[in-house]
Amino acid sequence: MAGSTIDHLVSVVAFLAAILIFISLFNQILQTAALYQRHRSLAMKCSDLLDNMLLSPGIPSNWGQTNVTPTGFGLQDPEFTQYRLSAFSLMRLLSSVGAPVYYPKTNQWYSNITVGFGNFLLTSFSEAINYSTASRLLGINGTYGFQLTITPIVTLSISEIKSKSPLRIAVNVAGRGFPLANAAVSYCFLTVDLTGGEGSFPSYKTTYGTVYTDEKGSTLLEFSEITKEDTSYALIAYAQLSGLIGVGYHQRVSSTGQYVVPFVDNIAEGRVIIAHSYDVQYFGPPVAEVAYNATFVLLAEDFTLREIPLGADKIGKVNYGEGQPYKNVTIPTHNPGILVITYRKSAVEGGVIMMPWGISAMAFPVVFGEDPSGKEWVATDIRQVIVNDIAYQATLALWSLEGYQVIR
Amino acid sequence: MMRTIEVLLVIIIITAAFIISSFFAVLPQPREVSPLNLRRLALTTLQTLDRDYDLSQIVFKPINDPSWSELQIALAATLPPNVIYNLTVYEVSSDGAILYSPIKSISNAESLGIKTEASSYLVASSNVTFNVVPEKIGEQGGGGTLYILNCSDANGWWITGYTAQSLAQDLYNLLSPYFQITIMIQNTAQLAQVLNGTALQNEVLQNAVIINTFGEAVPIPSGYYASLGIGYDATGSYARYCHTLGQRIQQYNWTWISIVGYPFYYVSNTDLFSDQQNTWGIYGMKHVGPAGLNAFLRGINGEAYVKDDQWITLGGGGNPKYIMAQLSSTAQYFSNYYGIYPSPYQTATRAVPSWIQSRYNLNATAYIFDPVDLGGKTWIAGTTFVHYNATGHINGKFIPVGLTRTPDIRITALAILSYYTPRLYRSEYTAYGTSRFVVLQLGLVGGI
Repeated sequence: MAGSTIDHLVSVVAFLAAILIFISLFNQILQTAALYQRHRSLAMKCSDLLDNMLLSPGIPSNWGQTNVTPTGFGLQDPEFTQYRLSAFSLMRLLSSVGAPVYYPKTNQWYSNITVGFGNFLLTSFSEAINYSTASRLLGINGTYGFQLTITPIVTLSISEIKSKSPLRIAVNVAGRGFPLANAAVSYCFLTVDLTGGEGSFPSYKTTYGTVYTDEKGSTLLEFSEITKEDTSYALIAYAQLSGLIGVGYHQRVSSTGQYVVPFVDNIAEGRVIIAHSYDVQYFGPPVAEVAYNATFVLLAEDFTLREIPLGADKIGKVNYGEGQPYKNVTIPTHNPGILVITYRKSAVEGGVIMMPWGISAMAFPVVFGEDPSGKEWVATDIRQVIVNDIAYQATLALWSLEGYQVIR
Repeated sequence: MMRTIEVLLVIIIITAAFIISSFFAVLPQPREVSPLNLRRLALTTLQTLDRDYDLSQIVFKPINDPSWSELQIALAATLPPNVIYNLTVYEVSSDGAILYSPIKSISNAESLGIKTEASSYLVASSNVTFNVVPEKIGEQGGGGTLYILNCSDANGWWITGYTAQSLAQDLYNLLSPYFQITIMIQNTAQLAQVLNGTALQNEVLQNAVIINTFGEAVPIPSGYYASLGIGYDATGSYARYCHTLGQRIQQYNWTWISIVGYPFYYVSNTDLFSDQQNTWGIYGMKHVGPAGLNAFLRGINGEAYVKDDQWITLGGGGNPKYIMAQLSSTAQYFSNYYGIYPSPYQTATRAVPSWIQSRYNLNATAYIFDPVDLGGKTWIAGTTFVHYNATGHINGKFIPVGLTRTPDIRITALAILSYYTPRLYRSEYTAYGTSRFVVLQLGLVGGI
């Protein structure tokens, strides 16, 4: 009898122990599989969402060129099909990387994309589409977080090798994973003439040319007409190879303390505010009036820049502080181009500022959305896109907001 | 002891079950859990390389041409460094046993690993012209004549930014390939001739299509068609002429198209009304008002003339001001078929109400825009209204486009083609040597 009881006890204990161990083991496999499935589902969602953004122009389809808040989010250029994006819809996205700029004279904050000194794109918050609006329009508000990054595929690194007699500038052209050998580099070289304009307004002269990169994707430009180190200039270069086009730019200015800052005030009307830099940097006296001369240029098919008249507002003077109003200039087109503003602080100090009208004109990158760092699991997907002929890469990072183990 | 042995047996069975189920429960490779969509990446890379038809040109060049190495450089520069690729170009042949024969392959790795994705892209040689021959309207039956009003002695209204003559020329270029004969009616005298039933160039009058390019105005010939009881009534209203036009439409089973605005709102003849203007400073034009359209509809329905000044479209008479009209799915299909792409959203300020169908024995067909319900009525823009007589036969069609100015003649063209649906005979795309097939296969560094 006792032997039978012990047999029962041992067998029950062994059985229960075995069951517990096996349940635990099976559960582990099931949990891992479920987690894999959820991660896979997030990746699929990421791919679908990226296509939704890139293959729809949004509602209304021309929202990028207006001041309206879209009722449907999409970045496709309404005049094209496939993965061609609107340079103006991208311009209206609130940048996640640049620190917003406050301009007290309009009492407005501006989204900031700055690529080195003198290359600004500052868009009014009232015009910009913010992350929460986009998230709501995409139907993922509260369920997924995302960051959309649009970066140019071809990058042109431009650096000064010799400052004068002659000025030598090195241009390096590279793609995502390889230098662009034998690429045609068409350039426009602008030299600022501080005393060449009417009255005390500056002017500029342009020189065009085309060179080819070597097997390392490099080329050297020489400008013998630059004989002084304080001569301000700007170089805009376009590299092209087998359908790929990239843009690069470089400036040298003789006045970095006081200059003009362009703010995009109204995209629909093409109105750009021209402000004194001290109003943005909040420096105190002594302060100098800055005279400017604005020009809008479009990229022609032969990679030369074609000037579009801006009217009487193209020249003016701005100063810092109260009682010194900002000036306006109106861009008369919704074709992407570059607003080139030469400025003059004194007879020997000045420079040039450039602002893209439509992000593609200067191949500005766009980062839109939340920062994915620190998120539990982030799925990413990539597409190659065209923005007004410039090759870009669109990357979407997506993560779930529904807690641990990504999604239910 | 027996129980312990039984339990041991159970444990052995469960262990076996666990091992067997573990064998079948194969978890995916870590890379497959959250993969890059390489297929989409490949497709968009090919589209980027063919942005300006560069890829289409290079793949037809000799295999030792330097352009191939440029293509490889561009391909390498486009893809992220951790992506390996193989691009293969195939010749497409239609007469041999092999449909796709490889011509050249470009790759940056000996092997793409176990898991790859590919996208394909068919390109056509730029040296080849693909011919499209449209079927002629009327080939299968009567008709096939297109009249475009291009009268030099009349003025248009609501065609802001254009002249009737420039619109007529554009319509001629757009639509003449689809008709047996296209005739530009150069003056109101020729219009009178046609209204009298006399052919201008031995064309068939019956079942013809007439496009009025003058917007809200309609050219009126002097003489008979501007006489009392034909051109104007006892009150002096030229709505009577619109009624006569409606009768002619019914008589010859014509299709009348009003390209923009309120149809028949003015009549125009620069000689007849040389000292009269439309109250907006356009001379040679006389105001008719809403009575013109009502009289026309009565005419097409075989009713006696009555001057009726009731405003029936949008934009007046207590009706809503406008609707946002959206291209119908049928129109989108024909838009793709004929390669005519107007904006899918249009503002209609003079769309007609649906009740004209029951009132005038009309039947709306070939909807270009989806009807919109607003203000208690249904509004129809850009649609063909077919008139049926008492015996059920078609005699007369009317297309009031009804959109706001400025006119988009692509809507007019699409409306006509959507109703008549002439077929397009396309040339063979698989002719030898004219097409090449590009396959881009992508994998990730690491081999899995």
